[in-house]
Amino acid sequence: MRFIASTAFLASLAAAVLVMPASAHGPTPQKIDQTVTIAAKPEAVWKVVGNFAGINTWHPDVAKSEAVDGNAAGGRRKITLKNGGTLDEGLDEMNDKGFSYSYRLSDPDLKALPVSSYSSTLTVTPDGDGSKVEWLARFYRGDTGNEPPEELSDEAGRKAMNAYFANGLKGLKAKVEGSKGK
Amino acid sequence: MIHGFACLALAAFLTGSISGPVLAQAVYVVSQEGGTLTPVAPPGAAIPVGKGPAQAAAGPDGRLYLAHPDTHTISVVEGAPGRVVARLPFAGQPFGIAVARDGRSLFVGDWSGHRVVRLSSTTGAVEGSVAVGRDPAGLVLDGRGRIYVADRESRQVSVVDTATMTRVGTVPVGEGPFALALNPAQDRLYVANVRSGDLHAVDTATLAVVARAVLGGMPYGVAVSDDGARILVTNQQAGTLVVLDAALSPVATIPVGRYPEGVAVSHDRAYVANWFSDSVSVVDLATLAETGRLPVGEGPRGLAILSPSKEAP
Repeated sequence: MRFIASTAFLASLAAAVLVMPASAHGPTPQKIDQTVTIAAKPEAVWKVVGNFAGINTWHPDVAKSEAVDGNAAGGRRKITLKNGGTLDEGLDEMNDKGFSYSYRLSDPDLKALPVSSYSSTLTVTPDGDGSKVEWLARFYRGDTGNEPPEELSDEAGRKAMNAYFANGLKGLKAKVEGSKGK
Repeated sequence: MIHGFACLALAAFLTGSISGPVLAQAVYVVSQEGGTLTPVAPPGAAIPVGKGPAQAAAGPDGRLYLAHPDTHTISVVEGAPGRVVARLPFAGQPFGIAVARDGRSLFVGDWSGHRVVRLSSTTGAVEGSVAVGRDPAGLVLDGRGRIYVADRESRQVSVVDTATMTRVGTVPVGEGPFALALNPAQDRLYVANVRSGDLHAVDTATLAVVARAVLGGMPYGVAVSDDGARILVTNQQAGTLVVLDAALSPVATIPVGRYPEGVAVSHDRAYVANWFSDSVSVVDLATLAETGRLPVGEGPRGLAILSPSKEAP
């Protein structure tokens, strides 16, 4: 009896895990806000980061990135991560003069990042002789139900998103500073 | 000022929306991460309300009711002293919330239960329930006792008759409908669609979409000015409050804080909850400019307006 009950529970949990991320955004948003300073002018940083689909040239976690429909609002990038997961992201705004863009995730892939949705903005601003890059996001955990499993919790989402953003900004800094004078 | 106030009071009296003398409204915002309810007009100290309040609704008796989606709870806050007076259990994931005109019942959307539940505002006892679409988000109650709820993952608004707790209609709208607002005449319902980046106007008599405005970005909150002439929509991606006229033509775009979400109107001012910035923007509706930004608890989302003049019969 106990075995049957726990099997049923696990089955319902598995169903919830499979169904929820694709269909629900859930009610508890989480914040990510990271910055990095780069010893290069904003124009030079923007030349690298401003090409939305060019993320594979600077993000160390990205294996490949495919551009769909150009580098303006409505454009998309299909990212394949080195861990095998994919991220299909669409541009909502591209401010080429203000060195900023906003985009969001279309469909979640929990293998890529344990989150069900996010929207994000990346901005390059002058900082002394160099630049500051701010990358922020609003996301929902992988399982937006009331009792998420640990790997799809707010904490798991924060950990993964923070790591992804930190690795990206580190990679961007290395790429831009490393290419100076070449 | 006094003249304007008297006119408002008269207008409110004539439309039957308020009985008794009109006193100053009080505006509150709930902060989900901070677990607080903060009075923003008149400003006051943040009230600790427990973990994760997302949305709030004001009752006719000086009380506010807060939905805590992650803890199966509705908290009841006495506005004037500013303290939690009760916690009602909710068997589900409460999100959108409205208070019956007599204050005796609450209508609560159950996000993961895909239903709207009617419960006693004093005991939390379930009085009825009705299935709606997937992931009910924003929820408003009109003067006839109809509820409109944004079924976020069903691209529709469900219309519920609260007397019988039955669904009497559905209105197909855009992708990801989240926030709803009625105009003061209650003949128009405005629906902000987060994913399709547009706003629909629904005729509440025919339940047909009569206008649509493409805004782009992520429209996350909507409110209507007291005269019905201005529709205010937060664009979460852009960090702006977009102002439209009643024909949904653009009037102004006002920069506010980051990731603005809820918006509410009290007389000649709009209040915008800036989720990322942990602040509330105050916008003057005459000049269409931001006149102030108040720091509030972390992660502000829903706003509620308390009218102390309303009294339970």
